[in-house]
Amino acid sequence: MTSKTTASLMAICVAYAACAMAGTALAQTTGTALAQTTGAAPAQAGAGAAAAVSGDAAEQPAAEAPAPAQASATLPNGQEIAADHMENGRWYTAEDIPTFKISDDGTVDWATFSGYRRYSAECHVCHGPDGEGSTYAPALKTSVLNMGYYDFLEIAASGKQEVNTTANLVMPAFGTNRNVWCYIDDIYAYLVARGVGDLPRGRPAKKESKSDEFAAQEDSCMSG
Amino acid sequence: MKKVVNGACLALLLSGTAALANDSVMAAIAKPEQWAIQTGDYANTRYSTLDQITKDNVKDLRVAWTFSTGVLRGHEGAPLVIGDIMYVHTPFPNNVFALDLNDNGKILWRYEPQQDPNVIAVMCCDTVNRGLSYADGMILLGQADTTVVALDAESGEVKWTNKIGDPGIGETLTATVVPIKDKVMVGISGGEYGVRGRMTALNLADGTEAWKAYSTGPDDEMLVDPEKTTHLGKPIGADSSLNSWEGDQWKIGGGPIWGWFSYDPDLNLVYYGTGNPSTWNPSQRPGDNKWSMTIMARDVDTGMAKWFYQMTPHDEWDYDGVNEMILTNQEFDGQERKLLTHFDRNGLAYTMDRETGELLVAEKFDPAVNWTTGVDMDPNSETYGRPAVVAEYSTEQNGEDENTTGVCPAALGTKDQQPAAFSPKTNLFYVPTNHVCMDYEPFRVAYTAGQPYVGATLSMYPAPDSHGGMGNFIAWDNIKGEIKWSLPEQFSVWSGALATAGDVVFYGTLEGYLKAIDAETGEELYKFKTPSGIIGNVMTYVHDGKQYVGILSGVGGWAGIGLAAGLTNPNEGLGAVGGYASLSQYTELGGQLTVFELPG
Repeated sequence: MTSKTTASLMAICVAYAACAMAGTALAQTTGTALAQTTGAAPAQAGAGAAAAVSGDAAEQPAAEAPAPAQASATLPNGQEIAADHMENGRWYTAEDIPTFKISDDGTVDWATFSGYRRYSAECHVCHGPDGEGSTYAPALKTSVLNMGYYDFLEIAASGKQEVNTTANLVMPAFGTNRNVWCYIDDIYAYLVARGVGDLPRGRPAKKESKSDEFAAQEDSCMSG
Repeated sequence: MKKVVNGACLALLLSGTAALANDSVMAAIAKPEQWAIQTGDYANTRYSTLDQITKDNVKDLRVAWTFSTGVLRGHEGAPLVIGDIMYVHTPFPNNVFALDLNDNGKILWRYEPQQDPNVIAVMCCDTVNRGLSYADGMILLGQADTTVVALDAESGEVKWTNKIGDPGIGETLTATVVPIKDKVMVGISGGEYGVRGRMTALNLADGTEAWKAYSTGPDDEMLVDPEKTTHLGKPIGADSSLNSWEGDQWKIGGGPIWGWFSYDPDLNLVYYGTGNPSTWNPSQRPGDNKWSMTIMARDVDTGMAKWFYQMTPHDEWDYDGVNEMILTNQEFDGQERKLLTHFDRNGLAYTMDRETGELLVAEKFDPAVNWTTGVDMDPNSETYGRPAVVAEYSTEQNGEDENTTGVCPAALGTKDQQPAAFSPKTNLFYVPTNHVCMDYEPFRVAYTAGQPYVGATLSMYPAPDSHGGMGNFIAWDNIKGEIKWSLPEQFSVWSGALATAGDVVFYGTLEGYLKAIDAETGEELYKFKTPSGIIGNVMTYVHDGKQYVGILSGVGGWAGIGLAAGLTNPNEGLGAVGGYASLSQYTELGGQLTVFELPG
């Protein structure tokens, strides 16, 4: 089911990205499809579910200012980040938004580590190391705090252009790129972890191992 | 050994074959008051015989005038000066300005190409352009979208255009195009997109294609003769490239050509290096991946290859071989030799016989280099000419999904494209370098046309157990293979050097300083902080009898990606980050030319 969903998502992205249509429709389609997918799937709370969630301040009131939401469970954009359930080896919030899980000893979940790797391969040549931004592309660790998950997906799938008298900024469309799209939730979770300050710069030192579910979904997505 | 070959380079330029070469370029280069080619001369020495500015008076240098390019992002390359006109280029959108030096830099004409901005998205490392060239009354520009344009130098009128590549599959142009004889040499960028590297020679008169030589693939498409084209003195044999790849990987196997090209009129050979094999995951491309990472010598008229030398067979670290080949005539082992000196990304400096392709010297030009113990220099050895790879730092041997740590240099190389200079007065090379190491974790990637095709995660950090900075500016003896002196720099030195007959060497820094140092001792004589970080190359010219020095500021390029946010050292443990100064604390985006003069 998951592989089919992924494949259809990619097909959607191909269609829209190829037409170079800015994807409001795409975002809605993608978002809806994803939400339905993850929502319909059974929550697979693994052994790690009981482990303390980094930033486990679910009881604290939402951060109101756009200041770094250190140890807060709510982003400035109002999105919750507390890990609720697992699907395909990835953590999701109660609203089925991808998120991270870091235990007290700093061990990160595999998907977040995967996000680090894919970000560093596919995104960092423009957006700088560790989501910190470069001389010409924004710091995504900050962008994800203010931008919703579905907006993030839309831009990643369709790209973004700001070309005028003062700027020549062009982000490519990654909707057809398996190296990005098969890991887009991982990249998102990684950036959120960076943005809220729960994950320091650099390569995560300790990580969970890759689950069979994750590997199976990865294989079908990358070969599909 | 101290025998100084005065004017060796000049002799090269003025040799009797001048009539065969492009007269206009030769004549333009021969006038030291002009800066007629990006590399200073065909030999790529970046040496000027101008000597008004000396090591004694350079301390009095001051800003004469400035010019804003109106474009942000990384400014590589340098302006040209032909006669009384200065030609300034910009990164994408690749605008060109002709400035009247007789009228305080008034803009005589400007060229503002309309390019599909989608090309920006497939430029791996900022929208840089390494400058214009000049021939036969035309200014030549290689646009990001791979369109080569010839403009009338007086009016800016477009004489011809030819689009030699396809940005839709990740092909772009960043290198300067180089006019040689009746042709224009054009490279290609896109090693991170799985392009198939090639040199395209256009006819200077009308821009039509004369020949095209691929870096990989079948012999006829590479323009090689299996019996006559040699590698370290031996014929390369049939299907030398095809036999060194698995399956059809060579078709998306990289070997781009985006550095500098040099030319020896006597030998009628053009020299350049090829870049990384695609992907960065070595496990996905078994074999030596010929002829990526290779120094190439080709006949200018036909493109036929005379000799190759592959420096890094089966690359495992992204050590592109594209850096400049500096041609000098020097004494080696008691004999006058035609030499080629090349400072490779892999951290080794090579001295070769440029006529035969014989390897004479291969030594580390940064003591931090650790991925190899050195090159096998025994001609009778089976591994002659190959670098011995240290297993600990082999990303291939450690394998996919394994993080190989502490590799020096980083993928930036001990030196990237920022060109070195050579002074025939000191017989020294002045080399801007990086002093950065990395962790490198390769993993499997899928190929999609026009999408990044990388397949590795990197962390970069200043070389451990050193001065803490990320760069050095060194003086190199290419005969002994030794560093003469080394100046530590806080950031990588990403600016091309200039050596002059005034015994001064100039270079820029990422913080934005233009620095002048003593060519013999390296002593700092002058510095001035320009408005933005410098990744451009220093040039010099004379107008109305007075010597000027010019430099483009405008931080960016690959340096702007990694260094803008500062580098972290994962080996210092989780959380111990931010200990290194961040470039963004020193400079901001800009795009400005600063021209210096002596008072009076």
